[in-house]
Amino acid sequence: MAVRSGGFVGKVLRVDLSTGKISTEDTLERYGALLGGAGIGYRVLWDEVPAGTGPFDPANKLIFAAGLLVGTSVPCNGRTTITTIFPTCWPRPLVGSGHMGGHFAAKLKYAGYDALIVEGKADKPVWLMIRDAHVEIRDAGHVWGTGIRRTTLEISQEMGPDCVVAAIGQAGENQAPMGMVVNSVSHSAGGVGGVMGGKNLKAVAVQGSGAVRIAGDMAAWEKLIKFHLSILGGNNQHVVPSFPTPQAEYYNPASRWIGQPGKRWGAAKPPVEITGTLRDPNRIAYRTNSAAYFLGDAAWKYTVRGNGCTACPIRCHTMLKVPSVTTKYGIPDTGQNTCVALMFGRSFFTQLAGQKNSETAIEACMVGMHLADDLGLWSNYGQLQRDLRKLYEGGYLKARLGSKEYASIPWEKYDNADPAFLLDLIPRIANRQGELGEVLSRGTGAIFDHWSIPEAQWAEDHTTTYWKMGHPKHHANEDDGQCGVIINTQYNRDAQCHSHTNFVRNGLPLEVQKKLAAAIWGSPDALDAPGDYTPANVPKARRAKWSLVRKELHDALGVCNWMGPWAASPLQERGYAGDDSLESKFVSLATGQAMDREGLDQAGERIFTLHRALTIRDMGHVDMRAGHDLVPPWVFKDQNGAAPFTKGSIRMDPDDIARAMEYFYEIMGWDKKTGAPGKARYAELGLADVGEALDAAGLTPKAEK
Amino acid sequence: MSEANADDLAQAVLDTVREASAAMRLIAADEILEQLLARGVATQLPTPPEANPCLLLAAILAGLPGIAALNSLSGRPVYHDLALLSRTYARILDRKDATEVLLAEEIRSNSRDYPRPVPVELFEKTPFNLAPETIAAALKTLSCDQEFQDITSLTTAAGAVYLFSTLYLKRGYAVFLAEQEASLAGNP
Repeated sequence: MAVRSGGFVGKVLRVDLSTGKISTEDTLERYGALLGGAGIGYRVLWDEVPAGTGPFDPANKLIFAAGLLVGTSVPCNGRTTITTIFPTCWPRPLVGSGHMGGHFAAKLKYAGYDALIVEGKADKPVWLMIRDAHVEIRDAGHVWGTGIRRTTLEISQEMGPDCVVAAIGQAGENQAPMGMVVNSVSHSAGGVGGVMGGKNLKAVAVQGSGAVRIAGDMAAWEKLIKFHLSILGGNNQHVVPSFPTPQAEYYNPASRWIGQPGKRWGAAKPPVEITGTLRDPNRIAYRTNSAAYFLGDAAWKYTVRGNGCTACPIRCHTMLKVPSVTTKYGIPDTGQNTCVALMFGRSFFTQLAGQKNSETAIEACMVGMHLADDLGLWSNYGQLQRDLRKLYEGGYLKARLGSKEYASIPWEKYDNADPAFLLDLIPRIANRQGELGEVLSRGTGAIFDHWSIPEAQWAEDHTTTYWKMGHPKHHANEDDGQCGVIINTQYNRDAQCHSHTNFVRNGLPLEVQKKLAAAIWGSPDALDAPGDYTPANVPKARRAKWSLVRKELHDALGVCNWMGPWAASPLQERGYAGDDSLESKFVSLATGQAMDREGLDQAGERIFTLHRALTIRDMGHVDMRAGHDLVPPWVFKDQNGAAPFTKGSIRMDPDDIARAMEYFYEIMGWDKKTGAPGKARYAELGLADVGEALDAAGLTPKAEK
Repeated sequence: MSEANADDLAQAVLDTVREASAAMRLIAADEILEQLLARGVATQLPTPPEANPCLLLAAILAGLPGIAALNSLSGRPVYHDLALLSRTYARILDRKDATEVLLAEEIRSNSRDYPRPVPVELFEKTPFNLAPETIAAALKTLSCDQEFQDITSLTTAAGAVYLFSTLYLKRGYAVFLAEQEASLAGNP
């Protein structure tokens, strides 16, 4: 791509906190083939962070990267990827990324930077001010020790309007592996807050007055944006509403498209009544209400509005106002979030987890959101909550925690599902206070290490949803059979991939889904109905690869993989097809250089393969199949004793999964025995130097030699 | 009738169906005729005993793009514009006054097409808007009717009630699907 390519803004900002040196480098020259996001992050780690570097070592780096489409008008383009040596990866830290929405990524590009590399360690607490070309390391003594809200406020007042602040709270300052960074007070990226704290970096604040250039034809660009809007569904690209409507042939009560005329944002001033047809692209934002979906219809009356990220019409980040929590728990009555972070508080309590239309559960969520987003504590995709439940209810804590500390914890509040319990527990973890706080602040792996609990006690227990390496499953066999299993074997943290599940759960009848599957992955057998699984096959492995590559691609483009890909649509006239080449059309127009779907997918595969290479390098052995791509035992069990492939069971068969992995490795062009790419495969993907380095270190498959 | 007049008539018929569909109403040929006559549009149509004008309208309707006929519960065809009123929604409208049939057929189509059981609360919401006691009474009636013996219910571990048809779903799989759906909000 030419230096004047659109989409990219051209520079990567590098800040060395040890020396105070601030510099820039050309984006395209070094990173152009990796697009952005984790592509840049992985490359920096590969080139500059040696194997064996610990997450809190000054030698570790933090790469905040926007994506090629960030800051344009492409829907859902607000993602920032923060790549580093990930601290909750167990038993050894390996490469990983945290991701946040909001407007940080767009601001970074408007300031002129495709990415920010933070290296070294400041000798005292600092924050980083970025105002276009003016970049300054400033003293953070006045905000160190304060929560994310106060920090955001103080820095916003210092910088002036129109800045975005990404800050850590006490958890990050305390170098808790479970710390997170939060921008705009509620858009969080897990696992990287402690790494920031380890560098004495309290916050990064950005103001940008530039723009992102679109190199291609503007009329074609606008037309494509309109088309994209026309194929959007609701949250997670659920393309049918949850109720019958005059305009839709299909509906699905499980759909996250729950808004409909007659519903109202009851806590807005004045309340907003939803009217008209939500098929209208100008009314997409009314389709989604995450609070009402996750917490039940009772949340409508507390809804202020749907908030969200740059250029995203979905607005999944629901703002709630619940007046009772101020008097009961002494916290602000307004909070906002989405997904797991929205349910942060409720999920600690067995009685409240998953419970809808419970006022207590809603209050617990408000307390949880308030504390987690201010102290900067991550949930590890809900594993923190499941860990606490298992530790307490399984008697582990009573047996292992010192009696004095055990007695100091208000368990009666926990037993009564009293949200006030969280006022004690969450600060305990963020402040790494006591044995319990210290262990939970380090993530699930620390539970195994510290209390000598065999990992198997988690991995065999389906209710923990624990997968491997200190992290839980993220849409595995319960959603998508072998495809889900393959995807969950590939990362060093939870997979964070929604490409597959957004398709499986899109709400269309199975027959329609299979038609779409045949068109994209070459066979209707690329997809099974949930719990009606058939043996592994090549089309399923092809879909697993597609899902992973699109996830990496979305992170590299800065578009939201929680909302895409757009393989299906609400449009009956298109046979409910979306557009599988949408991303490449946008990239072509943005850069001004034609890129077809296959070409762009290869870039996604390049990025994904670089992640594989980093993992192999840092693990120090090539046999990924035996040592990394692991499946927990609960996947091969059924709670009712049903055999694999029994209709109504998610139980997988070990031999079948072994075949599924082989199909996948083959499609990836990797060695089937070890699950590792060979030197030639790296070269084919434009990673020849990576392949040569690994080969020289004996970290490529022997079969190739 | 001249070609121009025939075109005008077809357009008027199309507009009438679209108006009804936009108002979420199904419309029969005799109602269309009535509206056309009231507007002075269909004066050139032959009248009985020479010919049945409704049959002529039916022929016109059959040739209109995007207009579908539905054999209603009353036994007569009713018409709707598919772009404004989907087949699924048209069926729901048609069965609105026959609660038992409405529930049974909706449950059957969900079990057959997706496949899935449906939560009983579905029928309390728009566009069904049935009171819980009305739903309970209808389900009781269905359970006593030989024609609807396939309609049955299950209760999840958390106490949620789902309905399904044994014609298309076996109980074990229906239980799995219901449990899975009930767990989705905890599996984001």
